[in-house]
Amino acid sequence: MRKVLLMAMGIMLMTSSLLFAAGSAEDGDAKPERYALMMSHMTNAFTMELSDAVKSKAKELGVDLTVFDGGQDVSKQISQVESAINQGYAGILIEPASVDGIKPAAEAAKKAGIPLITVNQRITDQELASAYVGANPVEGGELEMRTAAEAIGGKGKVAFLLGPLGSDAQIGRTQGYYNVLKEYPGIEVAYEQSANWRTDEALKLVENWLQTGVELKAIVANNDGMALGALKAVEDAKMLDKIKIYGLDATPDALAAVKEGRLSATISQSTTEQGLVAMETIVKIVNGEKVPAEIIVGHTLLDKKAVDQMAKN
Amino acid sequence: MSDPILEMKNITKSFSGVKVLDNVQLTVMPAEVHALMGENGAGKSTLMNILRGIYQPDGGDIFLEGKKIINHNPKEATEHRISMIHQELHPILDMNVAENIFLGREIKRGTDGICSIVNKKRMKEEAQKLFDVIGIAINPSILMRNLSVAQCQLVEIVKAISISAKIVIMDEPTSALTEKEVDLLFKQIDKLRSGGVSVIYISHKMDEIFRVADSITVLRDGQFIGSDKVGNLDKNNLIKMMVGRELTEIFPKAEARIGEVVLEARHYTWENKVKNVSFSLRRGEILGIAGLVGAGRSELVETLFGVHPNYDGKLYIEGKHVDIRKTGDAIVHKIALITEDRKQTGLNLSASIEQNITLVSLEQLFPHGIINKKKEALVTEKSMQRLGVKAGSRSVKTVSLSGGNQQKVVIAKWLLAEPEIIIMDEPTRGIDVGAKRDIYLLLGELVQAGKAVLMISSEIPEIMGVADRILVMAEGRITGELDRKDFSQEKIMYFASQFDKGNENEEN
Amino acid sequence: MSLHSMRELGIVFVFAAILLILIILSPNAFARPANLINIIKQASINGILAMGMMFVIISDGIDLSVGSIVALTGVVSASFAHPGEYPLIVPIILALSIGLFVGWLNGVGVAVGNIPAFIVTLGMMTMIRGVALIVSRGAPVFGVTKAYEFIAGGFLFDRIPLLVVYFTIITLISAYILTKTVFGRRVYAVGGNDISAAFSGINVKKIRISVYMISGLLAGFAGLLLASRTVSGNPTAGQSYELDAIAAAVIGGVSMSGGSGKWYGTVIGALLIAVIGNGLDILNVSSHYQLVIKGAIIISAVLLDVKGKEKAA
Repeated sequence: MRKVLLMAMGIMLMTSSLLFAAGSAEDGDAKPERYALMMSHMTNAFTMELSDAVKSKAKELGVDLTVFDGGQDVSKQISQVESAINQGYAGILIEPASVDGIKPAAEAAKKAGIPLITVNQRITDQELASAYVGANPVEGGELEMRTAAEAIGGKGKVAFLLGPLGSDAQIGRTQGYYNVLKEYPGIEVAYEQSANWRTDEALKLVENWLQTGVELKAIVANNDGMALGALKAVEDAKMLDKIKIYGLDATPDALAAVKEGRLSATISQSTTEQGLVAMETIVKIVNGEKVPAEIIVGHTLLDKKAVDQMAKN
Repeated sequence: MSDPILEMKNITKSFSGVKVLDNVQLTVMPAEVHALMGENGAGKSTLMNILRGIYQPDGGDIFLEGKKIINHNPKEATEHRISMIHQELHPILDMNVAENIFLGREIKRGTDGICSIVNKKRMKEEAQKLFDVIGIAINPSILMRNLSVAQCQLVEIVKAISISAKIVIMDEPTSALTEKEVDLLFKQIDKLRSGGVSVIYISHKMDEIFRVADSITVLRDGQFIGSDKVGNLDKNNLIKMMVGRELTEIFPKAEARIGEVVLEARHYTWENKVKNVSFSLRRGEILGIAGLVGAGRSELVETLFGVHPNYDGKLYIEGKHVDIRKTGDAIVHKIALITEDRKQTGLNLSASIEQNITLVSLEQLFPHGIINKKKEALVTEKSMQRLGVKAGSRSVKTVSLSGGNQQKVVIAKWLLAEPEIIIMDEPTRGIDVGAKRDIYLLLGELVQAGKAVLMISSEIPEIMGVADRILVMAEGRITGELDRKDFSQEKIMYFASQFDKGNENEEN
Repeated sequence: MSLHSMRELGIVFVFAAILLILIILSPNAFARPANLINIIKQASINGILAMGMMFVIISDGIDLSVGSIVALTGVVSASFAHPGEYPLIVPIILALSIGLFVGWLNGVGVAVGNIPAFIVTLGMMTMIRGVALIVSRGAPVFGVTKAYEFIAGGFLFDRIPLLVVYFTIITLISAYILTKTVFGRRVYAVGGNDISAAFSGINVKKIRISVYMISGLLAGFAGLLLASRTVSGNPTAGQSYELDAIAAAVIGGVSMSGGSGKWYGTVIGALLIAVIGNGLDILNVSSHYQLVIKGAIIISAVLLDVKGKEKAA
């Protein structure tokens, strides 16, 4: 009985994973040029938006694209890059899980002469890559902080919700916050903790901060997921009139919250544009064209005014 | 006349105040097959464990080739060229034959030390050489897992030979062998003997002993009874030596009216352990089941109780056919089974006396599924009182009770369910005299109230003192039945020793 | 007094001691009644999971899949809670049924398949996480009705958070079942010695399947609550929630070898974890330290348990 159950489970597992894998891999035209997109993970709206953009451009250009999910694991990403090199992919796009850790993959690609572009986050040894396409997280953080600082009149206490410590986005955006703060001596950072991009962690953290009686004027979060968690906590404490909340990523639920006037603003890092440009650029490199080492896509502020405008168009 | 190779003189050993060996002697000559016989509990295993260095004797000495030796541990015993082939084999299943033979003395490449590498190829070669010399056809590369029991035993023998053992102890070596394999084993034993090796052969099987042994030593109740050459003995006086004790203990035997048949088993067969057993049990009767270890008695009562659902056979309770395939069924039919091992299968040691006692009767006591603490307490106290369970309170965890009290808790648990048929497997094993007596008295009460009792016991005096009738089993069958008026230790032992020549269903 | 009951009392002392320390370190923020209610609220979801886990561990099993069940039921129930689509009862029934079903699968794997619980629930944890990601396309499901938000966000009599109410009711029911019912007694018996229980006529398979179904059902409920609380169903929610549930039970005195454990111990364990999280957040200590402290308490609790057993044997 036990053997039968084990076998059944095994077959079920294998069949389902094969079916889904087949579904998620891209069927390309029978062009010899195959490209690989290495995503650090595929579990939130941002990653979906980015990969969708790359896919649509690949289709438009008529090339083959395979998307790899790194599961937020650096060593897995390195293995995936090595496999892609062995299987003869023409070019590799990588949204890296770690700025330092991915170095072996970049070295391998360079050694094999295969163009590799970093997307959305730079790596420490950027010179190993052929180019970088993305937004500058520092710029995004600066835009976000400046908007918040102006909104609270340049003085008062604020709190920061950070992404996982050590990620390029967390480091860059937070750097941006502090760059702006230099111009606003009247603003004090009361709390600064990581909520690991997660809504439930941010919710608990802000709930507890609000218990301390410290008067916050604004909460600035490294991403929308955490901003929404903070929003729930602030709304539950009925303090939305006193505390403004800012996020970054322009995910659909954040945009909806901005439209409703609950979230003060979010920042778009033009995720879609990043994806389109990255795909375009790697094909250009493979075809022998020269491209700049860095193509920066700008951040856009999306406050209520901007969102309403978007809806009108 | 040469000198003995081994002399164990005046060996005495006690465990927790109980004397298991009392001035025991064993003298083994070189190149001799010396049988060691006695009932369960006679002390044979303990004596051999002392020889192997697992225990130290409280008194007495061991002389090997005239020199006094002490084996502090099995490794020293091996160094003294004493090796043992166990009744229960424990080879390393995932290693191959060669690796098992050289376990602990692996042939190494280069030097010894931490970084030495095992030379697998040479071990296989050496093992193959041994097999060729001995004349056994086993491939040294095969994993132990894939060998039959008989082949494992042969590997053990080869291992013993490879350490150039002078004395090889074999404990019930033929229990799992077919007739052909027994012949092969005896051939090897002959070879050992002609090579100057002595074999100490522990077995119950008299036919075999008369076939292969040169001399026999008999132990009984930890005492040395006698020793002689095989030629000077016959079965009858052997049996007398093994069981011929004075029955001094008087067991309280209640007189109860024996009524109609309450349980009848017909042609019970389960795997290879219970073979075509039929019997009946009457109200007011204490039916004893005697036999040697491995006779299948526990397996029989477990099968009756529904523990092994894949059996053949029919059961009739009060004349009506019932199909018991799980323990719940048996309980519904008012049968109780007090198992052999109270710690493993009888109690929940981490639970209290109260929680244990009420476990079987929960549905009976609380039909709505909600436990009424007051009722539970009342019922438990009454139960503890009736059985004489001595403990601080009913909330004491059973793990901290003495053996006797633990056994009483198990019995209390089953009696609470108000069974009509009570099966007890070795109910007085490992408990003190006072508690034993309490249990005998309890048995009397039960049968006087019209219940029927089926009792397994390996203590022949006990079973003779308490039972009205005795069934004797050997190798899964009933080999004899005795009424109280015909009870005798010799007859019981005789029936218990009725072995077939090997297992019938395997003739390679 | 036996070491075991010392440990049961001991955990109360430890709890009181930690409370005292935090009150001293943060007299204004920590000890306010509003914060104490906050703590119980934050303990509720883990507490509910811990109640289910308690049943499983007492029966000498383990359930590693509850975190993933939380994610799946959160995602599914949120998907059916968009305005104007289905009545509120639909997402609720879905969450509970899915949890119950997955629990049943776990139970059958362990009881009938005779596969070790660790393996069955580990496999289930991975599979269900995958299903959650597939069903949600990797992105959070948002846009739920106010009524759905009210499930976890609402208050009883405008004072008591509903989360606390659920936790209390579930705790009381669990306590009753374990201490006062025949079923509960049998769960302890199976965990204490399953062979002896079988010989005593108990249907061990049925008991095992039941406890996993209880754990699954409560995990389904917890998933509903978490999605309601964060106003979105998140496929990445609940990660390592099973560890916190196990920690709560173990700290509270439930022995990993089965057969023992008191319900109030688990409650204290869950509260202790929440107290540490809340206190350290208020003192602005990073979540990383919280992990270290939680781990240290778990190890000491298990050590006390093992030492207690050694003494008794």
